[in-house]
Amino acid sequence: MAMSTTMTTTMGIERPSGRTLPELLYLLQFGDSALPVGGFSFSNGLESAIQEGLVDGPATLRAYTETSMWQAATGDGVAVICAHRAAQAGDIDALKHIDRLVFERKLNEETRLMTVRMGRKLCELSSVIIADGATRDWFERIKSGDTPGTHPVSLAITLAALGANRQDAFGVHQYGVATAVLSAALRLMRISFVDTQKILLDVTAQVAPAYARVTDATIDEMASFAPMIDILAAVHVKGHVRMFMN
Amino acid sequence: MISGARELRAYQDEPPQLPSGSFGKNAYLRLGFEPGAHRTVLRTLHRRAPLIVQQALYWDEEMPGLPCVSIISNAGGILQGDRNVIEIDLQADAQAHVTTQSATRIQEMDANYASQTQLLTLGPGSYLEYIPRPIIPHRNSRFIQTTKIDIDPTATLIYSEIMMPGRKYYRDGEIFEYELFSSTVTAGRPSGESLFTEKFVLRPKLDRLHALGAMGDFHVFGNVVVVTPKANADQLFEANTPVFDRENGIAHGVSRLPHDAGLVFKVLAMESAPVMETIRAFWSEVRQVVVGPRVPDNFLWA
Repeated sequence: MAMSTTMTTTMGIERPSGRTLPELLYLLQFGDSALPVGGFSFSNGLESAIQEGLVDGPATLRAYTETSMWQAATGDGVAVICAHRAAQAGDIDALKHIDRLVFERKLNEETRLMTVRMGRKLCELSSVIIADGATRDWFERIKSGDTPGTHPVSLAITLAALGANRQDAFGVHQYGVATAVLSAALRLMRISFVDTQKILLDVTAQVAPAYARVTDATIDEMASFAPMIDILAAVHVKGHVRMFMN
Repeated sequence: MISGARELRAYQDEPPQLPSGSFGKNAYLRLGFEPGAHRTVLRTLHRRAPLIVQQALYWDEEMPGLPCVSIISNAGGILQGDRNVIEIDLQADAQAHVTTQSATRIQEMDANYASQTQLLTLGPGSYLEYIPRPIIPHRNSRFIQTTKIDIDPTATLIYSEIMMPGRKYYRDGEIFEYELFSSTVTAGRPSGESLFTEKFVLRPKLDRLHALGAMGDFHVFGNVVVVTPKANADQLFEANTPVFDRENGIAHGVSRLPHDAGLVFKVLAMESAPVMETIRAFWSEVRQVVVGPRVPDNFLWA
């Protein structure tokens, strides 16, 4: 609403967004859940949450998505911010340190597998399509086992190579977490596209306050607390009937 | 440094009582266990009130050579301005059980914060059970705890934390009315190689702990870290069946730690008793896989 008001009162003169069109389109491309990095095969514990009846409709799905995003903001999101800073400074040692710390804070095999699989695939993709020195170098390090290759670090290196700033990198990461949960929900439960898109629009409004909370956090401040999701992940790993990977 | 943690920035005012970290507010315990002729002995005991250890007892009927140590506080809990340090050191092949006498109460606060630093060092082949009783963070309390584990690849540690939501049955009930509960557990090898870190910063007045996926409807959280050689962890992992029982209000599950360091076992329930019972059963499995004997039944009065 605010936007249309601005547009009419300024008689069609646009407010500059501070971002060039290619920069915007890069963000759309790398924030798209269709980006083939394997995020669609993981449900973040949602599959077990639905099986246990904890998530059974739009209200509970929204709550689950919010918790997943909040955990990501205070955990991996801090890593995205710190890794982006290190990538811009070309500080490989700092990137390796961050990568190891992220890996060592994934306390179940499902989230560990998810972060290194998505991190590797994303870096492989960007090393080919962006083809700059930083993404190629990082992919070589992942391949050789020099570094675990977690997703937030690969994402930060990729977006830094494209010229995106820290806030945008954090936003793309948050958006990715939300769409991963919501697209898994579409395949796992009875819910409409309208409902998931409504939830997405609502939860993305909370990304800016989350960024404000962690914007100057150091890597040692990564924290998360989701014991229920942790137990659901344990249930999922041992589950016999499941659609998503662990 | 704990005192530099961001989450403590709002709590730097000095208490109107004794200054933070001063005499009586800087409890220190150092427990050093060494193998003796027939059983492990508590060779080193340094203590500074209000944390007190009297002596090792050998109360475990299944492991008569296991020194059992109960940590006592004569302060009635943890108070604002307290800076506790606990060091537990096991030499090669030593075995020990350490617990607390009763629940640890983190008392109401109106100034400053309280901190506790724990350093657990386990030599080759050693075995430590560190199973304190629950922690109860009272209204407006601010508490930060750092636990550093330095463990040889052949040693085993089982360390549990049970977190109550507050004084659940006090007056109208205190459920998540504390201000800050920050906990960091890190583990590494004597070589300096890091293994894993678990950190959470809980501020119930800012963030909804009741959110679905966090605590949900549950009130009590139990967290058990088992650092043990991979063969033990594999056996324990295979034998464990995760449970999510909404009807009876209990959920628990075990996951593998990074770098094949061991396992983490999480429990959620409404009261402390089922959490302690579930942890006791898991602890008994750990002891049977690692040492052989089971954990005896709970004392009738415990």
